[in-house]
Amino acid sequence: MNQARFVIKSLMYHWRTNLAVLLGVIAATAVIGGALIVGDSVRASLRQMTLDRLGKIDFAVTGHRFFREQLASDLASTPDLPAEIKTIAPALVLRGSLDRDREKQHLRVGQVNIFGVDQRLWSLLEHQDLPPPADNQAILNSRVAEQLQAAAGDEITLWIELPSAIPRDSLLGEREEQSVEITLTVKTILDESSKAGRLALMPDQQLPLDLFVSLSTLQAALDLDEIKASRRNPQSRPARVNSLFFSSDNQTTATSYAAVQTAEKLEAALKAALKLEDLSLKMAPNEQYKYLSLESEQMILDPQIEQAGQAAAESLNLATSPVMVYIANEISHSQPEKQPEKQPAKQPEKQNQQSGFSMYSIVAGVEFSEKAPFGPFTFLGEKPALPLKENEIVLNQWLAEDLKVKVGDPIQMKYHVVGSRGELPEVDKTFTVRGILALDGTPAADRKLTPDMEGITDADTFGDWKQPFPMKLDRVTDRDEAYWDKYKATPKAFVSLNTAQTLWNSRFGNLTSLRVGPLPDQSLTETANVFGKAILKNIDVLKMGLAVLPVKFAGLAAASGTTDFTGLFIGFSFFIILSAIILIRLLFKLGIDRRVSSIGLLAALGFTPRQVRQVIFKEAFAVILLGGVLGITAAVGYASLMLYGLKTWWIGAIGTRFLFLDLTPTSLITGTLISVFCSAFVIWKSMSELKQLSIRSLLSGVSAPVSDTKKNARRVSHVYKISFGLALLLVLLTVSGLVPQKEAFSGFSWQTVSFFLVGTLSLVASVFFLSSRLRIESAIPVKGTGPAALIKLGIRNAGRFRQRSVLTTALIASATFVLVSVAAGHRNPAVETPDKNSGNGGFTLVAESSSPLIYDLNTPEGRVKTLVNVPDDPSTQQLLKKMQVVPFRVKPGENASCLNIYQTSVPTILGVPQEMMERGGFKFADTPGDNPWELLNQPQDDGSIPALGDMNTLMYSLHKGIGATVGIPSDERPEHELKIKGMLDGSIFQGVLLISESHFQQLFPEQSGFQYFLIEVPPQQATQLAGILETGLTEYGFDADFVSNRLANFLAVQNTYLSTFQTLGGLGLLLGTLGLATVMLRNVVERRSELALLRAIGMTGGNVALIVLAENAFLLIWGLVSGTLSALLAMLPHLLSTGADLPWESGTLILAAVFVTGMLAALLAVADAVRAPILTTLRSQ
Amino acid sequence: MNDSLEQLIVRELTKEFSIAAESLPILAGVNLVLNRGEALAITGPSGSGKSTLLYILGVLDQPTSGAVTQFGQNPFELNTKQQAEFRNQNIGFIFQDHHLMPQFSVLENVLIPTMVYQGETSDAEDRARHLLERVGLHDRMHHRPAQISGGERQRVAVCRALINNPRLLLADEPTGNLDRSNTESIGKLLLEINQEQNTVLICVTHSSDLAALFPRHQGLRDGLLVAETA
Repeated sequence: MNQARFVIKSLMYHWRTNLAVLLGVIAATAVIGGALIVGDSVRASLRQMTLDRLGKIDFAVTGHRFFREQLASDLASTPDLPAEIKTIAPALVLRGSLDRDREKQHLRVGQVNIFGVDQRLWSLLEHQDLPPPADNQAILNSRVAEQLQAAAGDEITLWIELPSAIPRDSLLGEREEQSVEITLTVKTILDESSKAGRLALMPDQQLPLDLFVSLSTLQAALDLDEIKASRRNPQSRPARVNSLFFSSDNQTTATSYAAVQTAEKLEAALKAALKLEDLSLKMAPNEQYKYLSLESEQMILDPQIEQAGQAAAESLNLATSPVMVYIANEISHSQPEKQPEKQPAKQPEKQNQQSGFSMYSIVAGVEFSEKAPFGPFTFLGEKPALPLKENEIVLNQWLAEDLKVKVGDPIQMKYHVVGSRGELPEVDKTFTVRGILALDGTPAADRKLTPDMEGITDADTFGDWKQPFPMKLDRVTDRDEAYWDKYKATPKAFVSLNTAQTLWNSRFGNLTSLRVGPLPDQSLTETANVFGKAILKNIDVLKMGLAVLPVKFAGLAAASGTTDFTGLFIGFSFFIILSAIILIRLLFKLGIDRRVSSIGLLAALGFTPRQVRQVIFKEAFAVILLGGVLGITAAVGYASLMLYGLKTWWIGAIGTRFLFLDLTPTSLITGTLISVFCSAFVIWKSMSELKQLSIRSLLSGVSAPVSDTKKNARRVSHVYKISFGLALLLVLLTVSGLVPQKEAFSGFSWQTVSFFLVGTLSLVASVFFLSSRLRIESAIPVKGTGPAALIKLGIRNAGRFRQRSVLTTALIASATFVLVSVAAGHRNPAVETPDKNSGNGGFTLVAESSSPLIYDLNTPEGRVKTLVNVPDDPSTQQLLKKMQVVPFRVKPGENASCLNIYQTSVPTILGVPQEMMERGGFKFADTPGDNPWELLNQPQDDGSIPALGDMNTLMYSLHKGIGATVGIPSDERPEHELKIKGMLDGSIFQGVLLISESHFQQLFPEQSGFQYFLIEVPPQQATQLAGILETGLTEYGFDADFVSNRLANFLAVQNTYLSTFQTLGGLGLLLGTLGLATVMLRNVVERRSELALLRAIGMTGGNVALIVLAENAFLLIWGLVSGTLSALLAMLPHLLSTGADLPWESGTLILAAVFVTGMLAALLAVADAVRAPILTTLRSQ
Repeated sequence: MNDSLEQLIVRELTKEFSIAAESLPILAGVNLVLNRGEALAITGPSGSGKSTLLYILGVLDQPTSGAVTQFGQNPFELNTKQQAEFRNQNIGFIFQDHHLMPQFSVLENVLIPTMVYQGETSDAEDRARHLLERVGLHDRMHHRPAQISGGERQRVAVCRALINNPRLLLADEPTGNLDRSNTESIGKLLLEINQEQNTVLICVTHSSDLAALFPRHQGLRDGLLVAETA
């Protein structure tokens, strides 16, 4: 006989108890291991999704800048190109909208990723050898096809923003023709499993909206195609793209951190291959005046370019002269008595004589140089003191004659400034004439001071101008035309450069050209070559929007840093784990209770307490170990079930079906070890309790120490009073807003911590209260007759095995707590009406557009310029007048809402207009101030930009709190820092960050117009308004939705998680009920003789059943009621908030089902006891 | 040779229980000296403290005061682990409820005390077989406790008590659950073994028949051992 044999024999003999413990361990292991496997599987699935959606694309350059398609080939032949780069594919990647008429339906889908591809990019995608789209053909992914209800052969219309070299919201920007309509024929639909159909550069597990068209079709439609020089049009132009995709033949480096270094090398190679025209720059040689003029197609030099140009000139020791030119609408001799400005419209005839004003004159801001090639200026008469002051101007001879002014006279200049909503208000300014410039042959006569602009500088007359804004052509005089005919865009007036930059400041830059002198003894062509290269050398490609992104590595990193599904499912399954562990303890304890005299015997026979525990523990450990091994097998099944759930029942949580099971040895081993450790711990603790018993007590079958009942009852009473008091206090603090919502730790807010504390404290209070009552025998006096007396007797019986009763009740109360609090956590924003201080901010509609809107939809002018096909009926006009639209500027970024489970770093950024900040509204969390929106305008000492974000986005997606910073364009390579100053609570702004419009324009000058809108309109008219706007703004891809729907989509994730939690909590409750049934069965078995005795003294089987059922019902009801009340108390702050939607009916049904199941289980035990013959039972005991 | 090495000596042994802050004296100064080979039967009414005395002598309970010297050693000066070893090596205990472990065979039950300090040796098993043969259970060795009669179970318990050649054999109502014939049989067996193994044998019992078999018989009254007349 040795210990091994002892253990084996005991295991086999006590197989029933051991089997029960084994099942408990299997349940715990399955749940813990399952959670780990789910976490692994989600991560692996996201990794695979990243690999699938990117195909062979490892690196990418993409952005707003259109560069030569030829750059791809140039780059391929650059010696600096990293050796592992195999393919470079140019492409157009844009956003657009699609629509299609089907029968009587007009189907529309916005925010579609439009990929202009040719064989080069197509070959990097996985599509089972499908040919790329031919001209005018479209390949759709399944989501687009589904929304358009389109099939192969159908015609669809693509609306896409026309690229504009000159920013739309600058003076000369194109505002009228913003979009182009392209009719395409659907060639193929990529089904859901197609990897090419998942192409997206931002990490998101949801299927994107993708459309592939031929690169050449898209280039032609967007005026980006190649134009070869001809006799009629000597100006050639290369084909352009805005993206380059790279594939590497070394996947090890492309998918590891080494990819960052490769991206840096690629950036260096890209810089070496760049030409000025890739940055929309040109170097115009001025042979007459012997200088070069660095100009931009944007008409304004980007400050980065300006700096690079200045640095390049300095390095080459070249003279420079920056120039800023502007169009003055009207310059006149300042005469106070002159008729108001609006009068001239009455003059029907053109001014044929010198009229004292001049229309559409170019005014230049320059630094008056004394030296060639930029000077000297020749003044007629007195030379002014230079530099000119702010209100001083010099006119050329022509204009002075036109205005009949002389030095010292005041003149008035009218010019447009650019408003924030596309409007061009005219302002005027008075200058004093300080000089008159001679025109002929001097630098003042240099018409190249004004950069070439197609449609303006090449127009023959003012009437031929491609009007950048509404022009008053009827006021253009013959003298004006004559000047234009002779001098074209030669400036008529000059101010100091400072004055020009102050008056006509723009977020796009402050110079229209940078002139440089030639290198000594070198031609302008040679200088242009050297200077051009020097500029490119000084360019920061990141700042120019040409950064090379290691997209595959970044995608894989985002997959690894995803929402912690292991933690989430451990959390969801917490109460199953807890229930399983309590059950293991309960079952083990029941087994020990039966064997307590054997344990005493071992001690009596000379086993030391440690040896006794070892022998029992070895037996239990063998069970636990077996349970661990079997449990981890069950864990695979459990994880498969959870993944199936995530792909089907809980699809709302993650929105993808591309999840697969991924098993890693680490998780399997860890899951087993955690479960084995937890089970072993509770079993060891149970055995430790036996230490308090003497051998004699053990021998006599006593399994629980007898304590001083009164003293303990007092202690227990203190515990429940203190616990309940603390729980109430915490609830009051939370309701009164004193508990902050900011993150406490690991993504949990203080309010969440408070919820768990209140729940735990009230559960502890209820359990200890029960324990205290069960200790006091007089609490439930047994007296009287009839069923009431029998019920009391039953309830008193609950105190006989107090520990068992309390444990069972705790089990049921915990699981009930989960179920009820989860049910109470459901929110339904659909029941919420617009309320300024809620998550909807008082707005009814939210809209997004694929192309930006320039004009203000709140004004009749803005609507006229933007909306088309609007019914002219009074009700529609009334409705449009009634709506209030708050437009936001948008810098697209990653979707950081809870709908995206990838780790995000730079979300979409919205520019908040001043009127929104003044209006205020929305619900904030932990954010100081009556109107937290004003924080966006608060200057920061460290130069960072204040930002607001939704609490869910900040805490769960970005893992940032108030005071944290977000790097722009990325945390790794920050150019600017956004500082989080406040958190919105449950708002429509999930997934984005908000900064002020003025900061937005500084940071992202290239982003024109508005693409995100919140609309105030009475809810009953919202559907009608949405229809009007969507139809009227079709070309912008305007898509409106109810704010409540959008919030419901966000909350669908939360509610789905809650459902998951509820399901798993239900399993916990099932385990609790099983535990109760086991305990009741055990109690009945142990009390068979008592029950037989009761029958022997004349009680019927029904009486006995009533006694047992009363005890069972008492414990069940105590658990259910205390769990429910604890949950309602913990959820009170939430229940008092708007939108709380407690499903009373389903919750009550679940609890009733649990009660009935528990009672049925007890009834079976009772039936068994009642059926046994009285005499045999009495004798056998 | 020192006599105390061969003796069980009890001096002024007292035991009190505390119940609800009140002290209840059970043993009030028991004195006893027994040499090896001697056998004593102790009788007394229920609650007189017979079993308490036996449990203290078996080092299963602690005295309130007084001295117990077993074969030259006071076991209450030992720590828990040493007490367990002392019990295992020096004391054989026979309980009224025999306390056989139902999962093991008769032979295995007898061998259980050998597991902790001697391990499984053929000597122990031979001795167990010999003991079982000695008590007439040679054909019951591989039966489970549930498969044998009450008298046989108690014989197994006797064998288990003897397996480590104890110097002190304590029997707590060994025949409490047995009929007269089995009572006599077990009583005689205990006395024979007492002589064969040269142990000190103390048996507490209600049974005057059993007590009558013992050469020395004392009663426990008012917490003290008193001489009993036949």
